[in-house]
Amino acid sequence: MATVTIQNVTKAFGDNVVLRSFDATFQDGEFITLLGPSGCSKTTILRIIAGFEKPTEGEVYIDGQLVSGGKTFVPPDKRGVGMVFQSYAVWPHMNVFDNVAYPLTIRHVPKAEMKNSVERVLGIVHLSQYAERFPGQLSGGQQQRVALARALVAEPKLLLLDEPLSNLDAKLRESMRFEIKEIQRKLGITVVYVTHDQTEAMAMSDRIFLLNQGVVQQCGTPQEIYNTPANQFVADFLGKVDFFKGEAGNGKIVFPAMNGQSIPYTGTRTGKVDVAIRPENFFFTEKGILNGILETQYYLGDVDDCRVRIGETLVRVITNGFEFRNLRDGQQVSLGVRDLMVFEDNGYLERMLEINT
Amino acid sequence: MQTTIQSRNRAPLAVKLMLLVLFLFGLAIILNGMKGMREYAESGFSAEAAYQAIYHLHKETDSAWKQKLEPQLQKMTEEEQEDLNQLMLQLLSSSWESQKKGGKDLLEEILAETEEAERESLSRKLLYATYLVNGPKVSSANRKAITAISGNETDAFHTQLLRSLLDETTELPAALQKLAGDLTGEERSAMLMQAWYVSNGSAEPGVTEQVNTLKKSVRDKAAQLSAFRMIARGEVSAIEQLVVGHSRTAILIGIVIAFNALLLTLLMLGDQTWRVDIKWIVILLIVDFLLLFQLMPLIYMLFKAFFPEGKFSLETIRRLHTYPLNLDAVKNTLIAATATMIFGTLLAFPLAWLVGRTNLYGRKFFRALFVLTYMVPPYVGAMAWLRLLNPNVGTMNQWLRALLHLSDTPGPLNVYTLPGMIWVLTSFYYPYAFITISRAMEKMDPSLEEASRVSGASPIKTVFTVTLPMMLPSLISGALLVFVSAMSCYGIPSIIGSPGRVHTVTTRIVEYVSLGQQGLNDATGMAVFLMVLAVIILFLSDVVLAKRQYITVSGKSMQPTLVELRSWRIPLTILVSLFAVLVILIPFATILMTSFKIDVGKSVLAEGNFTLGNWETVFGRVETMNSLKNSLIFASVTATVGIVIACTMSYLLQRTHIRGRKIPDFLITLGSGTPSVVIALGLIMTMKGNFGINIYNTAYIMIIAYLIKYLMMGMRTVVSAMSQIHVSLEESSQISGASWSRTMFKITGPLIFPSIAAGWFLIFIPSFYELSMTTLLYSSTTKTIGFQLYEYWTFTSQPMSCAMAFGILLIVMLLNFILNRLTKGEFSI
Repeated sequence: MATVTIQNVTKAFGDNVVLRSFDATFQDGEFITLLGPSGCSKTTILRIIAGFEKPTEGEVYIDGQLVSGGKTFVPPDKRGVGMVFQSYAVWPHMNVFDNVAYPLTIRHVPKAEMKNSVERVLGIVHLSQYAERFPGQLSGGQQQRVALARALVAEPKLLLLDEPLSNLDAKLRESMRFEIKEIQRKLGITVVYVTHDQTEAMAMSDRIFLLNQGVVQQCGTPQEIYNTPANQFVADFLGKVDFFKGEAGNGKIVFPAMNGQSIPYTGTRTGKVDVAIRPENFFFTEKGILNGILETQYYLGDVDDCRVRIGETLVRVITNGFEFRNLRDGQQVSLGVRDLMVFEDNGYLERMLEINT
Repeated sequence: MQTTIQSRNRAPLAVKLMLLVLFLFGLAIILNGMKGMREYAESGFSAEAAYQAIYHLHKETDSAWKQKLEPQLQKMTEEEQEDLNQLMLQLLSSSWESQKKGGKDLLEEILAETEEAERESLSRKLLYATYLVNGPKVSSANRKAITAISGNETDAFHTQLLRSLLDETTELPAALQKLAGDLTGEERSAMLMQAWYVSNGSAEPGVTEQVNTLKKSVRDKAAQLSAFRMIARGEVSAIEQLVVGHSRTAILIGIVIAFNALLLTLLMLGDQTWRVDIKWIVILLIVDFLLLFQLMPLIYMLFKAFFPEGKFSLETIRRLHTYPLNLDAVKNTLIAATATMIFGTLLAFPLAWLVGRTNLYGRKFFRALFVLTYMVPPYVGAMAWLRLLNPNVGTMNQWLRALLHLSDTPGPLNVYTLPGMIWVLTSFYYPYAFITISRAMEKMDPSLEEASRVSGASPIKTVFTVTLPMMLPSLISGALLVFVSAMSCYGIPSIIGSPGRVHTVTTRIVEYVSLGQQGLNDATGMAVFLMVLAVIILFLSDVVLAKRQYITVSGKSMQPTLVELRSWRIPLTILVSLFAVLVILIPFATILMTSFKIDVGKSVLAEGNFTLGNWETVFGRVETMNSLKNSLIFASVTATVGIVIACTMSYLLQRTHIRGRKIPDFLITLGSGTPSVVIALGLIMTMKGNFGINIYNTAYIMIIAYLIKYLMMGMRTVVSAMSQIHVSLEESSQISGASWSRTMFKITGPLIFPSIAAGWFLIFIPSFYELSMTTLLYSSTTKTIGFQLYEYWTFTSQPMSCAMAFGILLIVMLLNFILNRLTKGEFSI
């Protein structure tokens, strides 16, 4: 049960600044996810908290005690945190029991007590019957749980997880996701979880820190981030979204690329804007606000994935509206919009386009 | 369609038949070879070459008679011809009788069993053959005079010659006056008869050569007479001379053919398709080469060790411990190799850890430096340490005496001792363990150590609970590698041990070889001891690696977290630097300094003691340049042949599942694990013609020895490169329409080129400065630079040999630089 305070932490490798003035406070018992595309320095933050990297600037406190910063540096072995590595790092020359018992051996815990503790954690991760096995005889998922058990056995105040599920197959990943969450709830520990998988982040986190290129883009609950993204990057990174260029004013937004059609807008922005609409927030209706021609539709079982041409723009619509299942390609359709996000047109989309091409 | 089905049905039978025929063919050659050996054994000739000579001389005799001598006789009258025949018979019988008592009777016997019509020509040819070999001798001046007669004069000369043979009163032709003018009677007839033969071409160089061969290989008089008969009668056929003359080679070829047929059958039995795969032929060729030049010598040596005189005896083995010098050598070798292994590993592990896992200053530099020692010939190190630690004039001893205020007595350190030798061995073989351990450490997933840190273990605790146990397999295999290398080393003990009478198995073997037969027996015993030890270690290291090879390569490559040495950082860096100075800088500097000295006992800075003369003398000598040329040629050939085999084997191992591909792989591994002197001794014992291959004293035997020893270095490099190229890269080229060969040249080749180049150099460099095998295999024309250096050191002058040693170092460093450039920095040693 620990709080982590990170103040103004910057990390540079040589001239390459990978993390810029990162500030955060993780509360007791919180499940924090550091989310972002690869290269966004989320792992670096985790390694700074663990003590494997020294921040170039700034301080890190665990439970109010300075662990990195200024002249102070507490090495990883003195920080009392648990960590699960992406590659699990289960030692191949020790069996499961010895692997898990290792942190207790270091702390000179008496044999009997150690045995109890190890058996208890192995129980938590459902590996009780595998204690005598060597890692080479275990599947990836089992090795991952060994790593988790080892991180938990010394009852750390803080658990750090570095993409622990990325090497597992989809089914196992899903079940492990809930197991980890379950364990965290049961033990009430603070967890910092690093992933690039938004679904994982959404499912498990109390709060998400979304990072890009070493800068925090937004921090908040999954709902906050998904529904009220702070900027285009956040909107784009979470879920599916299409951007449209528009002109806001007079209670509406006009889309020049959609034959000048418009939608009502009650927000505060005026002038050039980027409008982000998730495909599932469009719906077919008898009398909608945007009119176009249905170009293609893909039947995906639970939903239909359609493309509607409005002027020069191709709009993606994901719908499960059963009454509109019988539309034909080339037919005139009308679209309603449930929700939309409006950002200032700051050239972000153009920059993104540049990066992608 | 129809044809393919048909051919499919017929192919197995055809292939089976072909294999059977091949096998029988092999057997037939073996049988013929054995028959030839038996025939030879009964012939009384002292060398098989007699058969070739007999065959060729028969052809010569026959054609000379038919084309030249017979027509001249025909020009004489019947009466004269009859008289000449009589004369010839008479000359023949007296010649034979003078050769051996009872020769006359033998001749009559031969003539008696010949049909009447044949007798005449037989006796003529017999005489021709006899005179060809035995003379009377015609001096070369007379020979010239006789053969100078040409054109129209020839006929007249011959007629006159034959006439004067019959009648002593007839005047001799001018050219013969000198030759036979003073002779009378039979002597005169014999000389004139010989002159007649000589004038008809028997003096041609080819014939002279065959005559010499015959003389050399037929010493016994009786055998010589029977050789004449065989020449005259043409008793040796073309095949026979081949079979008898090369009976051992024939048997060997037969065995190889039959063995190949058997092996091919075995391979195909498992395959069931009965299709002859070209890859098998390639495998067989490589296997044949290794069987002949690697396995056969080893097996023969084992056989000789236990059957020294053809009967089972443990005498050779017993002499290993009953003869004090031998026992000493065995003890010294075991002690030295064990100590070197222990010290080498104890040095290598901390160094590898400091350089690979901590924030030691200059860690990359130190790594490169320690690896560099690997390519320095060990004998160069021995020379340096001898200069430094010689009890009387060693530079380091002089410093120590000055430092410790000791009187001018010898010491305090003496390199000519077992500890001295262990020190030098350690300082040259620890890089072997260092490289093995460093590589494993680089491959180890750093998060394994981080997991230990985050579990609460200190850096030191982590080293002992995680790093060390994880490194154990490579630690052991590195240690075993040091042990084998130290025990097989010849250069260091021969330079340091021999003067101090610290014998090792390798130095004893080389000494014994120079002692002849009994020596060879002793050498065999020692070699078998060395070989058995090496094979056991090879096996152990294989078991250790196979059992505990942890797959710890992480999914994403990550810079390992370096352990903070904190307050230890500077002291440890100083310690490592001191070590580097002691082990690398001082020895090399010593070599360089010594090379400029006039008086080795004085400092190079002392007045008048500096000279460039050593360098000029050494590199100005023709013999140095010749041996340098030899070394470059031998090493290039070895490396080129080696890399071709290496690439072939890599392809077979990595890209095919063909049965039997592991056989050459195993043999190549065995070869590289066999101590050098053992390889060389085996080759000496089997390649001097006693098994049908005679490459003794040639460049071939040296190149083959180098190949056996160093082939694996190249092969492993290419194999590991090829294993890293995913096969889909090749498949996507083929699916794009490229042929197999195009794919190899355009995709695979360029991708593994750096490794091929590296493999070439890895074979080239040790072959270039090789000493242990060369010492046993060299001949006066095949001396190499390493051996030349050794000779200079032992017999000429130390400063000169230091100049040469530094020259070798420079060449090796230049090669390393080229390799580095060629592979764009990816490889250097």
